[in-house]
Amino acid sequence: MLGFGVDRLQADINRLLTSLFHQGVLDEQFLQLQQLQDETSPTFVYDVINIYFDESEKLLRSLRLLLMDREFSDYKKIGLHLNQLVGSSSSIGARRVRNVCVAFRSASELNNRPGCLRGLEIVEHEYHYLKNMMHELFQLEQQRLLAAGVRYPM
Amino acid sequence: MTVEQDCVALDQFPVGMRVLAVDDDQTCLRILESLLHRCQYHVTTTNQAQKALELLRENKNKFDLVISDVDMPDMDGFKLLELVGLEMDLPVIRVTHGACDYLLKPVRIEELKNIWQHVVRSRFDKNRGSNNGDKKDGSGNNEGVANSDPNNGRANRKRKDQYNEDEDEERDDNDDPSSQKKPRVVWTVELHKKFVAAVNQLGFEKAMPKKILDLMNVEKLTRENVASHLQKFRLYLKRISGNQQAIMANSDLHFLQMSNGLDGFHHRPIPVGSGQNVLQNPTDLGKFHHVSSLPLNHIDGGNILQGLPMPLEFDQLQTNNNKSIIAGNSMAFPSFPTQQSSLPNNNNHLVLEGHPQASPSAFPGHQINKRLEHWSNAVSSSSSTLPPAQNSNSIIIGHQFDVSPLPHSKPDSLEWNTQNASSSYSIPFCDSTIPLTSSMNTNPRAFYRTTDLDSNANVQPGVYYDSSQMRQSGNYGPTTDAMLSSNPKEGFIVGQQKLQSGFMGAEAGSLDDIVNSTMKQEQSQGDLSEGDLGYGGFSSLRTCL
Repeated sequence: MLGFGVDRLQADINRLLTSLFHQGVLDEQFLQLQQLQDETSPTFVYDVINIYFDESEKLLRSLRLLLMDREFSDYKKIGLHLNQLVGSSSSIGARRVRNVCVAFRSASELNNRPGCLRGLEIVEHEYHYLKNMMHELFQLEQQRLLAAGVRYPM
Repeated sequence: MTVEQDCVALDQFPVGMRVLAVDDDQTCLRILESLLHRCQYHVTTTNQAQKALELLRENKNKFDLVISDVDMPDMDGFKLLELVGLEMDLPVIRVTHGACDYLLKPVRIEELKNIWQHVVRSRFDKNRGSNNGDKKDGSGNNEGVANSDPNNGRANRKRKDQYNEDEDEERDDNDDPSSQKKPRVVWTVELHKKFVAAVNQLGFEKAMPKKILDLMNVEKLTRENVASHLQKFRLYLKRISGNQQAIMANSDLHFLQMSNGLDGFHHRPIPVGSGQNVLQNPTDLGKFHHVSSLPLNHIDGGNILQGLPMPLEFDQLQTNNNKSIIAGNSMAFPSFPTQQSSLPNNNNHLVLEGHPQASPSAFPGHQINKRLEHWSNAVSSSSSTLPPAQNSNSIIIGHQFDVSPLPHSKPDSLEWNTQNASSSYSIPFCDSTIPLTSSMNTNPRAFYRTTDLDSNANVQPGVYYDSSQMRQSGNYGPTTDAMLSSNPKEGFIVGQQKLQSGFMGAEAGSLDDIVNSTMKQEQSQGDLSEGDLGYGGFSSLRTCL
């Protein structure tokens, strides 16, 4: 029974991942991340993704504050934040988030405020979508580990 | 290929190599750390460049290699590289997410497994007595990875191949030079223009050294040279965007200074061009180097190059003809079939007429590259003062220097704007008012520079870079394209005019494109008067020097 549950969960995980790849939400870099996880760092993916979430949310909050300010004019700062988002998103394989960040960055380069606001909305949307998917993935993973009799350090 | 296999493939040296990884982004840092561990390197990480420097200074022998992000808030990777390179002989590899010849984010295991070669090479060079350092040199760190594509996987594979290919080239390059005094490439204005045009054409983020090299079609230029230059250029742009205001006045020089400071450029023997050129032999280039160290800021004109003969590399490069237009000051100018046909200008300005005969390296199909535009824009994100979000900084390279003393202080934008053609327009590219192409929708006159290409010496070196400059360049961009199609040479020439340093029009095309793309966004003609741009062209900072 235990094994059965594990298989089913594993299948769910695979299905989810395939779907995410298919949608372009994730790319091959995510696979690299998975490959870096091993017995010496068994929760590597989880840890890195969480770091990514923390950092990204700080950046997104900062971006929103900047843009909401009526007297906002510091496009350069937006660009800097976006550079970081682009870098970290591409590092974890979050392709869609990265792409919309690049588009957002273009708007900021043109000092296009409405474009930036729109860009931010889109980035926030994609980011939250990714985050939800990752949570789901981690939950499945954790269940799978439990089913397989492994403790998943939370 | 799995990560494990990749690591196992590493042999000898790398195991236990001590690497210091610096990146302000925790996510990337963590990933990098893990990748390095996987390669069996000994890793220390820090997310602050200052801290990294402290660690390095604490014990110079503590690390074998430094991997650093380039766009960190407290200090950019470039600067860290400089400091590290100067103070301690450590190779530094830069990581960035932009299109550059260093490691690009996302960093892949395949690339990391090769980084130890930088250490080896560096030590090898040291042993030989010439510490060229891949550390400072773009070529050494040239991973040839471009990650601008949405298609990371494919791009990664391509990059990897490129990287491997680059590795080999680098090795050869490094070995030879050290044995023969390393012919160095001097990035003259025209060369730089070609470079910019090629980058423009490929798209800034996608530009890879190999492709740029192919597009540039310059003999004796190696991929490493291009890669190194590309890296510097990108970093420069980044810095420029950071100090837009400050740099406005002397972006070109700034860039050049930076480059020189880092000694990153390779010189290559300057071929003496056509007979008429007053060519300077390669040693003259050395002069430029020195000159470049002078702050160009607005020099009273900043004509540092005064009296310095301009190398004619550009002639060499030009496959077509090298008729050099020799200015009184021995400025070699690739001859373009100008309508006026009397190019030589006595005031040392390169007179670039809009000759269709365009330099051999004319950029056919040069077109405004949106990416470049973005790139430029990115560089000059601030620009609140500058109308277009141009990143004039990026194009800085095209700065033109006046060889002859120019009335400095302000770019002759006004003059340029008002004069339609015949007067020398000192700022061919920068002139936003001069619409180079229809797309620019600026004055159509701009492109008609051909008639007035008589390079005026009013190009003020210092002014080139500022956002307005970019704007102007923007103008150029579109026009250039248009012009190119109809009269390619012209396009170049226009740009070149500014180049008093004998920059050939061919490059103008590229510069134009850049300018154009940036300009597109902005249309304020008036900005030009702000002058600072004389022309973003790269007028061979080197020459300016």
